[in-house]
Amino acid sequence: MAIPEYQLSNPSPHVSAISINSWEITSSKKPISNARRLDQLHHVLEIPLPEMTYGDNWLSVKHKASGWEYRLDTQAALSAVRNGELRPGDGGVKVDYADKWLVRSSSAPDSSLPMPETVVTKEYDWTYTTTYSGSANQPDSFQPADPENPFHNIPLEELKRRDPILFFSEIPLFEDELHDNGSSNYTVRVRVMPTCLFILARFILRVDNVLFRVHDTRVYHSFNRSPAILVKETCGWEAPYETLKQRLAFGNDLSALTSEAAITEQLTNMDQNQSQVIGAGTGWKGLGRTVEVVKLE
Amino acid sequence: MADLDRQIEQLLQCEPISEAQVKQLCSKAREILIEEANVQYVDSPVTICGDVHGQFWDVMELFKVGGMCPDTSYLFMGDFVDRGFYSVETFLLLLAYKVRYPDRITLIRGNHESRQITQVYGFYDECTRKYGTSNVWRYCCEVFDYLALGAIVDGRVFCVHGGLSPNLTTIDGIRAIDRKQEVPHDGPMCDLLWSDPDDIQGWGLSPRGAGFLFGSDIVKSFAHSNDIELIARAHQLAMEGYKLMFDKKIVTVWSAPNYCYRCGNVASILELDDQLRQEYKVFSHAVSDVRSVPAKLPPAEYFL
Repeated sequence: MAIPEYQLSNPSPHVSAISINSWEITSSKKPISNARRLDQLHHVLEIPLPEMTYGDNWLSVKHKASGWEYRLDTQAALSAVRNGELRPGDGGVKVDYADKWLVRSSSAPDSSLPMPETVVTKEYDWTYTTTYSGSANQPDSFQPADPENPFHNIPLEELKRRDPILFFSEIPLFEDELHDNGSSNYTVRVRVMPTCLFILARFILRVDNVLFRVHDTRVYHSFNRSPAILVKETCGWEAPYETLKQRLAFGNDLSALTSEAAITEQLTNMDQNQSQVIGAGTGWKGLGRTVEVVKLE
Repeated sequence: MADLDRQIEQLLQCEPISEAQVKQLCSKAREILIEEANVQYVDSPVTICGDVHGQFWDVMELFKVGGMCPDTSYLFMGDFVDRGFYSVETFLLLLAYKVRYPDRITLIRGNHESRQITQVYGFYDECTRKYGTSNVWRYCCEVFDYLALGAIVDGRVFCVHGGLSPNLTTIDGIRAIDRKQEVPHDGPMCDLLWSDPDDIQGWGLSPRGAGFLFGSDIVKSFAHSNDIELIARAHQLAMEGYKLMFDKKIVTVWSAPNYCYRCGNVASILELDDQLRQEYKVFSHAVSDVRSVPAKLPPAEYFL
């Protein structure tokens, strides 16, 4: 296989980059943010932040010839989390024992556990569900794909080939354990091969005894196609917790339910109407699949 | 005693002891813990630690910074297990110290010391992997049910894993709980292990639909009516290792550096001297090597 010329660099200790063909791909990976940075982010985002917020992590993919740039970063991912009361389409859920809790709150006056008067706390989506799929520096550059055009698709066969990987980075944006009620995670992965670049930005959510939810953004560009285009596919899936538990739990051992690979395999192999239309019955707007393209001329 | 000392030596090398030894250790631990109060009295000077989550080599760093047991008297505020790779060795070491030096180490219960939580977050899995059966997990869970719910240092510093409960305005109220059970999903015992301070006034309901948040006025009135000068709690990650809130009336102590082997945070322990003066000692994670992070999967470079 012919490998095009490329340069790797480390502009700073936490930043790595590759320059290949007309592309510059840069990844920033730092530890979780300190209290000062979190205060800044909180000031902007106005929601309690995930307990692991990698506030200075990002991926940038820049097309040098046209100046077009696509970027994924933590602040933007979190700004797509619902701030305020949850509306239809937001897919809001409560923990599974919330109903039992409300019983306590509305308990009869003779209850031994009277509920105190409570104040209204900040309303936001505590699961940090986001359909964030990155953004480009030129608005409207993503256009709906033509379903008839075979190039308006991500060629999985090519990506399954074990071509040499010239550049790889896995960049966590945020993670929260939902106070031990599950897990919410947004991670970006990128790899550059001799023939293409490929990105997977994945939001994955588990709410114990309630549901699983995944929102994937895949970005693909072939160095060998003309005219040059970049394809972006977004997909959302959901399933009730119990459905996957039946398939993945092994007696008392629920650890497969914390495996990203096991969960996504189940969700993507399920009947599409189940996982991408019905989901977990939350009415979440992120279900389904969309393909868009950018023409880089 | 000599057997126990040998087991401690072995555990200090991060080598698990045998299933029969675990059974015996847990049974002795229960005999000691059953005598402890729901809120155990502890004398200063004492070193207070937050979540350690099975990060064995980081607990060794903690002992380097704080001194070894029994030279230093320790109070661990729960969440010994889950998430790290060495929950078995970590918990059994602390438990062996408890049996060997019952007056030099206090262990209180965190929300992870629960059957339900450990089945999801790794401890169950680790026990069955290391011992081939779930017996060790069962013995440990039986010990969890006997752990104290809180501690009070010199009658002045109240220590608890999570926080306060609206149904418990006095420390005496906590003494009335029947603690020997699985952590319930609601009620005062649950609140002590799960609640969090927040920038509100009064009590708030978590947006998750369950769980309490409590404001500065709640902390101040609890401190006032119980003659407490500080509430020390754990339960929440603090990037700087600890976080003081509400005019320094409450502190979160976090003792798992580089949490989950990827957060890059520092950890701390709180040393209280015999005048209850506070000194926070911050420490970083153990140098990771083949021992500290075993069987690391290669990164999924060929992701699809």
